[in-house]
Amino acid sequence: MAIEDEELIGEFIVESNEHLADIENQLLAIEEGGANIDVDLVNKIFRGVHSIKGAAGFLGLATIKELAHSLENVLNKVRSGELIPTPDNTNVMLRAGDTLRVLVNDALNSNGVDVSDRIADLSRVLEEDVELATVDPPTAGSTPGDDEVTPELMSANPADPAASVVPTPNPTRASEASPAVSEASNKPPATTSVESSIRVPVGVLDQLMNLAGELVLSRNQLMQAVASHERMGLDAAAADLDQVTSSLQEAIMQTRMQPIGSVFGKFPRIVRDLSSQLGKQCKIEIEGKEVEVDKTIVEAIGDPLTHLIRNSVDHGVESPDERTANKKTPEGTVWLRAFHKAGKVCIEIQDDGAGINPERLKSKALEKGLISTDRAEQMSDREAVRLIFHPGFSTAEKVSDVSGRGVGMDVVRTNIEKLGGHVDIDSEVGVGTNIRVTLPLTLAIIPSMIVKCGGDQFALPQANIAELVRLRPGEVASRIDRVKSAEVLRLRGALLPLVRLDASLDVHSEVLGQSDAPMNIIVVETGQVRYGLIVDGIHDSEEIVVKPLGVHLKGCNCLAGATILGNGRVALILDAAGIASTAGVQLTHEASDDSDAQHEVVAQNNSQALLLFSSDPADRFAVPMGVVARLERVRSDQIDTVGDQELLQYRGMSLPLLAVEDHLRVNPRPKVDCVYVIVFTIGDREVGLIAPHLDDIREISCEIDPVTFQEPGVAGSMVIDERATRLLDLFELAEITHPQWFADAREDNDQGDDAGPGRILLAEDSSFFRRQVAGFFKNEGYDTFEYEDGLEAWKALTEEKLEIDLIVTDIEMPNMDGFQLCQNVRSNPKLQHVPVVALTSLSSDSDVDRGRQVGFDDYQVKMHRENLIRSVRNLLSSTRANSKSNPKRQLANAGS
Amino acid sequence: MNTEAVINNQVGAAELQLATFYVGELLLGLEIDQVQEINRCLDVTVVPHAPDWVRGVINLRGDVVTVIDLRTVLGLERGTVTKDSRNLIVNVSGELVGLCVDRIADIIAVSRGDVIPPPPNIGAVDERFFSGVFTGKNDIVAVLNLQEALEVEN
Repeated sequence: MAIEDEELIGEFIVESNEHLADIENQLLAIEEGGANIDVDLVNKIFRGVHSIKGAAGFLGLATIKELAHSLENVLNKVRSGELIPTPDNTNVMLRAGDTLRVLVNDALNSNGVDVSDRIADLSRVLEEDVELATVDPPTAGSTPGDDEVTPELMSANPADPAASVVPTPNPTRASEASPAVSEASNKPPATTSVESSIRVPVGVLDQLMNLAGELVLSRNQLMQAVASHERMGLDAAAADLDQVTSSLQEAIMQTRMQPIGSVFGKFPRIVRDLSSQLGKQCKIEIEGKEVEVDKTIVEAIGDPLTHLIRNSVDHGVESPDERTANKKTPEGTVWLRAFHKAGKVCIEIQDDGAGINPERLKSKALEKGLISTDRAEQMSDREAVRLIFHPGFSTAEKVSDVSGRGVGMDVVRTNIEKLGGHVDIDSEVGVGTNIRVTLPLTLAIIPSMIVKCGGDQFALPQANIAELVRLRPGEVASRIDRVKSAEVLRLRGALLPLVRLDASLDVHSEVLGQSDAPMNIIVVETGQVRYGLIVDGIHDSEEIVVKPLGVHLKGCNCLAGATILGNGRVALILDAAGIASTAGVQLTHEASDDSDAQHEVVAQNNSQALLLFSSDPADRFAVPMGVVARLERVRSDQIDTVGDQELLQYRGMSLPLLAVEDHLRVNPRPKVDCVYVIVFTIGDREVGLIAPHLDDIREISCEIDPVTFQEPGVAGSMVIDERATRLLDLFELAEITHPQWFADAREDNDQGDDAGPGRILLAEDSSFFRRQVAGFFKNEGYDTFEYEDGLEAWKALTEEKLEIDLIVTDIEMPNMDGFQLCQNVRSNPKLQHVPVVALTSLSSDSDVDRGRQVGFDDYQVKMHRENLIRSVRNLLSSTRANSKSNPKRQLANAGS
Repeated sequence: MNTEAVINNQVGAAELQLATFYVGELLLGLEIDQVQEINRCLDVTVVPHAPDWVRGVINLRGDVVTVIDLRTVLGLERGTVTKDSRNLIVNVSGELVGLCVDRIADIIAVSRGDVIPPPPNIGAVDERFFSGVFTGKNDIVAVLNLQEALEVEN
């Protein structure tokens, strides 16, 4: 193989010398250790030699590769304890190391050098040991730690094709670990660990030296000026100092900055080898080699980039035939570009290959169960292409030699995100794919939001911040609710748990006590939780340098470190996840006791959970939550119109849609891209109501006015947030347009009701609901007796000897609640056969449990006419069928 | 710790330099080479959830340094910061830590032989915090055992 790239060779020499620098001392230390093998140390040498071997093979330096390989074999034996270091074999290894160094330093001519002596020596050591081993069993086995080392070795030089052909050293006797060796390996390494080093151009060092000199001069000036109280001199000295400090800072930063080209350098070779291996024609064009980034980034970005480039060549670029057929040049191109953008480094990997077919990705994801059918339908092409980063997703149809083995794109993404970066993908079928990696310039500096709490300033990393919410003093009461002791924020229809920073940090807040102050809430997202963090104030965002906290402060889980602000004060960095777990008692408490808590809210206010939506600023509507089966977000173009009926193609069937503007006096629906569909059921039928804009889900306890808006389909109205809101009766609304849906049910009813209409007792304290529910029953032809609370109903039953077939009762009522009423009924011999249906505004498991105990036959949601009527009908007919003796108890969870 | 002290006694120079300071009524000493610098009690940032014997953190020329309230560590009542209060910046196993003391006193040179093992308690403070006691002409200097005093588990 011809040697072409001088630059690469130069790099190889420098790198290999680094690996070899300590080899003498390390080998000697191993020798000294004798049978107590320091596995870490051996591994270190092993890795160094292995890297040299890999790189040499890659560059066509056969001699170096061969020698390194032999040395590696011996080291492997040492590591596994099969070969005990003796002065003899250590000498052989040392000599091999020396020769290796000589060869490396004259790498270009190394292929002509005869190293057969050294190799023979090494093989002798290798074989000698085999004989020895048969005679004298080794006193030491390998440590179990060996197994973990193997993958590390494989990744030591992942870019290197040569590495993949080398058989992995196989720890043969991992199970025979002797205690002596494990003990030895637990001891601190024999040599002090070498601190990682960095190559700095001499020019930069000279500049630093110069600046240090100037700094001394400036100090002298300053001291003089201070001593002589000279204002002029002081100004001049301060100005000097300012300048020198800035330059010094820049120069020092520069020592850490390395051109990204050092990573890019190996890619042309990879692309060429890979394309010939795959029978493709492919070239790479590199731009922006000179772009400089922090050394930590340079070190970490190599593997992910290699993977992305390999992917582009393997999966992106098509075979020459295919390309010609698609009227492309036979030779594909991969572009690799680096550039600075908005204080970050962007790296683009673009190819002019086949692109990624979003449909194929979707079906693959479906097949693997990564997404649901609905989700797949809604996904835009761009989103679908991003599926490639989803864990457990490998696009390689067949696992080729090149990619699709081990690391997937999700690993690439994880690695890049670990660096504080971001990766995105764009692809067009037939045109090509473009992957964009965005990275911070340095890892030591993170953008953060400075917040205030209890007079102190804290930094919260931007990466954790989803959004900022500021509540005006007037809004606080309406937007923040208490569920038991925990506070929650209503944010676009969802409840967000709140955490008060002052409380979780045990500091005293200055602002939060004042009711007229606005409330600042940071919506924080960590991997696991999302919550709102209430702070006293929000300052600027600032780029902060992270400093660790001392050992005495390790117990502070809410803090991730400290930083020094512009004013010289220390600000602590908040750990969003830590705060969540500290406040977690409340968070989990809320989650587990949610139903209970909601029950309590209901109990206190006798309120009703309503879904609020609007079609126009002037028109707001409410639907009881209990009626809603689920909410769907759909694109407007998914809605078809057949005749006058709007239909949503949905889960393989079509869902008939209702729209408020078709039936009620409202302004026309605005043209929007996406609408929500409130799905509810009528009998077995699912029906959707178009809700252009969802506002909120609220517990509403105010009186409902049944008079003002009297329209078919409107049950009543109320004022919420100073807006008139119409409460919809979805079933009435549906019946206006589709009477046939209800006709079938009626017929059933008529047939079943041969014993005359049923007599229903209704106990409900809210006059609105009483009217509503009684209206449902009367509509169906039942005789209905209405009472305002449980006590009145009970009196009617016992004192007036009212004969009824069924009791329908609200649960929360004054004087006697539904539970008590039911209990009374069940313990009265004359009444105990009467079925009792409970009405709730919101059903919860704890309700149902308690209901089961006291003997409710069924639970129904107040406004769910369909289900309520059906339940009543079933109970009545089964009671009659069983001759009033053995009422069938069917306790169903209402609304479901 | 004791063995270390013994070794120091044997191999160190005959003379020992102690930086002395007051914590409450107590006169304490630290070997001078344990003290990196002494500065005023700067602007301390209180750290929430920190142990009560941690005053907070300060910015020491770009390093974030934990400041320990020595009074609380020794079981005394927490004092207030006065104009005499100082931070002794000490190096404990590679980490800089500030010790908040009430007043700085002299640097004294004592002979190692004059430092005797501490009595069970000195002014109601546990003996484990001290590695020895030096009795001078006017007063008693208790030599602080830094490792023990700054033990995280305290």
